[in-house]
Amino acid sequence: MTIRTRLTLWYAGILILSLVIIGIGTYQEIDEQMRHDHRREPTERAIGETSEMVFQVGLPAVLLGLLGGWWLTRRALGPVKKLTDAATKIHERNLREPLPRTRNGDELDQLTKVFNDTLARLDDSFKRIHEFTLHASHELKTPLTILCGEIETTLRDESLPPAERERLLSQLDEVRRLSKIVDGLTLLAKADAGQVAMQFENVRLDELVRDNFADAQILAEPQFIKVELQKCDEISVRGDRHRLRQLLLNLADNAVKYNQPQGSVMMNLRRDGDFAELTISNTGAGIPAEVVPRVFDRFFRGDPAHSQTVDGCGLGLSIAQWIVSAHNGTITIESATTKPTIVTVRLPLEAPAGKKS
Amino acid sequence: MRVLVVEDEKKTASFVRKALQAEGFAVDVCHNGDDAMAAARATPFDGIILDIMLPGRDGLSVLRQLRERKNTTPVLLLSARGEVNERVEGLNAGADDYLPKPFELVELVARVRALTRRGGETKSTVLRVADLMLDTLTRQAQRGETKIELTVREYRLLEFLMRSAGRLCGRMMILEKVWDYGFDPGTNLVDVYIRRLREKIDAEFEPKLLHTVRGAGYVLKETP
Repeated sequence: MTIRTRLTLWYAGILILSLVIIGIGTYQEIDEQMRHDHRREPTERAIGETSEMVFQVGLPAVLLGLLGGWWLTRRALGPVKKLTDAATKIHERNLREPLPRTRNGDELDQLTKVFNDTLARLDDSFKRIHEFTLHASHELKTPLTILCGEIETTLRDESLPPAERERLLSQLDEVRRLSKIVDGLTLLAKADAGQVAMQFENVRLDELVRDNFADAQILAEPQFIKVELQKCDEISVRGDRHRLRQLLLNLADNAVKYNQPQGSVMMNLRRDGDFAELTISNTGAGIPAEVVPRVFDRFFRGDPAHSQTVDGCGLGLSIAQWIVSAHNGTITIESATTKPTIVTVRLPLEAPAGKKS
Repeated sequence: MRVLVVEDEKKTASFVRKALQAEGFAVDVCHNGDDAMAAARATPFDGIILDIMLPGRDGLSVLRQLRERKNTTPVLLLSARGEVNERVEGLNAGADDYLPKPFELVELVARVRALTRRGGETKSTVLRVADLMLDTLTRQAQRGETKIELTVREYRLLEFLMRSAGRLCGRMMILEKVWDYGFDPGTNLVDVYIRRLREKIDAEFEPKLLHTVRGAGYVLKETP
């Protein structure tokens, strides 16, 4: 029940109560008067006169009062409705856009002000987190460059004992893995801060998918996984070519990595109304239903055991999700431990040009 | 060959210098943009390795000024920011190549070599390494008398390796030149393609031509 309905009902109750009190008072007064005048049958006459008064004067007054009350609550609560509408549009990226204030200093205006101040503080802390991640990524790159370079310099020494060489190579692998993680983090931090400019152009998505299909086949070959491109409609989208290729390769690579030997990968690209719909399914072990919503989380690993065998930086799907949403699209994963895992990407055929993520 | 390394981070500058010296380059080092301008005006270098983030005046502004002054020395940009946009911006400003940090030394050396060898590349339409032949007009590959069928991607990979024959090619460089990926896609795509190519050009033939240099990349040459 809305505040307005409740207030009006309360108001109606109070008015009716007052009417009853007035009625009783009037009745007693008339009754007294009549007894005083020694009239006969004072009670019936008094009831009659009282009810006449209550119905002819009281009821219309109550109705008028109700209407007035309805109107007043509506006026009083109008700003709350506006506030609600504005507040539903708040999300992480527009915290800086304040809610509209009436500036008449009333309670609601005060509330709006407090709310705006809170939003601004929230925005500051979000910004600080983003900036921190961005700076951290930059700061990490310099020591990584040095580490990588110095290990490589040492490896150039031909007289290095084989055991030592092995150890350094293994260290180099780890440094490279770290570099990939830092790269991924930098990209996502920049995307969060809206600092990655997209180069939108008309892209033939079907050509990118065919290209990607060829790469996927090669990636799948060592594990005897069969890759099939079942349908590939001719579709153009407004998009960033590099990012879309990164997305496709990422998804194909996942479909192979998380598959089982001799499994299969199915790719489909079709037009669905104003959307291009790409599905990539794989016959891997599947993802338990309860963790499906979390697979796009940064560094999320569904199966801790898996992270030992599958290399990668743990940011692939987060990056994929960012690329898709920068194109105003959606990405979903359907999975059960018994059925093939299906990744569906839907991209609008027209995306705003020159949009920043 | 004389190259200039402009890098404010002393340790990075030091191992880059060592690596390039080991490859037979004469290397000058400076740590800021103004010194770089002065050095580039005083000495004709065969190549400049220029970090974008320098104290004071940044690498891009040095590069722009060099180009304004009609200095055409090939420039390789280094950057810790590493974005597709920045790369495009750098190339537009007149850079010849761009390498994001953290980079691998082998990538850097391979790129500097390619950079300083610019123009000296073979114009011939038929590339040869030992008895492996690649006709870039008909896109036909042949080892001895045996014709080899290649997919488009395999052809591009082989062409790139043959054009850089004898030189070490890093994974990033291959991804960039053959796949046109300006980012590291985090897959073993290159390794898998190399394996396939090796089956086609090396498996049934001697001597083996396509060699893996562990932790570094690949090289196509006659002797290991």
